Amino acid sequence: MIKVQNLTKTFVSHIKEPGLKGSLKALVKREKKTKEALKSINLEIKQGEIIGLIGANGAGKTTLVKILSGIVHPTSGEATVLGFKPWERQNEYRKQMSLIMGQKAQVWWDLPALDSFLLLKEIYQIPDKIYKNNIEFLADTLMVKDQLRTQVRKLSLGERMKIELMAALLHRPQVIFMDEPTIGLDLSSQRAVREFMKNYQKEFKPITILTSHYMEDIKELCPRVVIIKEGEFVFDGALSQIQRLLGDEKCLSVTTKENTFKVNVPRTELSTKTAEIFKTNEVLDLNIHDPSIEDVIESIMKHGMNPK
Amino acid sequence: MKRYLRLYLYFLQFSFSKAMEFRVDFTFRILMDVIYFVVNILLFKVLFLHTDLIGGWTQEQMMVFVGSYLLVDSFNMTVFATNLWWFPSYINKGDLDYYLIRPVSPLFFLSLREFSANSLMNLLMSLAFFIYTLVSYSAPIGMGQLIGFILLLINGFLIYYCIQMLMVLPVFWTHSPRGFIDLFYSLGIAMERPDRIFKGWLRIFFTVVIPFSLIASYPAKYFIEGLDTAALIHVTLVSVTLWLVMLYVWKKALQSYSSASS
Repeated sequence: MIKVQNLTKTFVSHIKEPGLKGSLKALVKREKKTKEALKSINLEIKQGEIIGLIGANGAGKTTLVKILSGIVHPTSGEATVLGFKPWERQNEYRKQMSLIMGQKAQVWWDLPALDSFLLLKEIYQIPDKIYKNNIEFLADTLMVKDQLRTQVRKLSLGERMKIELMAALLHRPQVIFMDEPTIGLDLSSQRAVREFMKNYQKEFKPITILTSHYMEDIKELCPRVVIIKEGEFVFDGALSQIQRLLGDEKCLSVTTKENTFKVNVPRTELSTKTAEIFKTNEVLDLNIHDPSIEDVIESIMKHGMNPK
Repeated sequence: MKRYLRLYLYFLQFSFSKAMEFRVDFTFRILMDVIYFVVNILLFKVLFLHTDLIGGWTQEQMMVFVGSYLLVDSFNMTVFATNLWWFPSYINKGDLDYYLIRPVSPLFFLSLREFSANSLMNLLMSLAFFIYTLVSYSAPIGMGQLIGFILLLINGFLIYYCIQMLMVLPVFWTHSPRGFIDLFYSLGIAMERPDRIFKGWLRIFFTVVIPFSLIASYPAKYFIEGLDTAALIHVTLVSVTLWLVMLYVWKKALQSYSSASS
């Protein structure tokens, strides 16, 4: 169980005007700028629950994940995960927790995955038999059996992400933090990772917080969604609520000779609207995709769904 | 403890398989180390052509001292230096994250992960030279004298590590690319001089504030002429304090770690 009460985090940074002159000025006198990454946040997640944490870049998603995984100390407020204060970094807590960051690798670059896994086995003191079973199970379901003996830096991005997932789940964590695990992956790899997480969640029921920039990830995996904007939660509720709000909308990105624009269109009117656009404009490019996270958030703010 | 030993064996294993891959680097490093060695030994040899005593030590005694600091230095180069060299970039780029979530001391991980297999030859050479200086020592060597000497050298090695850490840790606040590690290497020359040449405030500086003289010079002095109780207490106090200060700064540093965002 995760319980967060009035959690606040402020970062202090210096402002520097551009150029050498600005640097000199900053050398003598520094103007401090504080940024509230999290503003008194409250959250409760039950055992076995998976939530999707979404928000624009810099909204505070990663900061929250880093506080809950014990990497960063909060400025004020309380948080307990499985009864532990994360930033006290007790081994009993760290043994049951795992963090996956799409942007940062945890396996050793110059070594085959199996070597890194051996080290993790030692770090987490995983018994031989469980270790063997886990490797087999994870490699099978992720379909990376043949990649385990290759140096990680020689693998493709998609394969590497699967290896990262394996590394993070070897010790069967009770709590999993996933920070943009599908970032930069091609569609089929994204799908594979999603599919895997779905089954894993069903089978082992860890507490999972997933942050993602892809609406698809959230739609597939998270029945509950929390939206964060400028350090505050603006929505905490069921995915179905968001979907109802958005209806079954698709987003059209159009590039014409004159300009580019975006329109949100209900799925049912997709063909008529597209035809209309083609008729009235000289279209150079047209993309049909899901509304972006930013669009979703904006839409929710506009429609004034009661923030919790 | 046993677990940490096993982890270290993995580090060794990984580092060796990595080092084998870069052969040019491997040979080049050995060449550089040999030059560094010869220069150090020759420096004192040349000085002794003109005088019989330096800082009260004869050539033979001086060689024990040279052997001592070369040994400590090569141990440091092999065990710690590579790790601490990368330390600032771990902090500035936020790569520390994955060390902090493991149920293992992050300090252990960060300081020991990379064993510099390239420097191993250097370590063996300095060890050989060190033993040679002892074997060719003309006065008889007592058992207690030898054990005390080695213990003090191990202590010196840990002091060397602590000082280095204290030069690197400010990176948590300054976010500079190297910390004060360059300062460390320039001040480090003090380790390669007998402590008798430092007088006044400079002496206080190098025996108390940044105790480079305690690393090799004091152990060598213990071996050659013995240290009185006051000096031994001095070494113990300074070493323990330094260690505690380092751990304290490390703790504070982690509290203010902001983890560069991804």
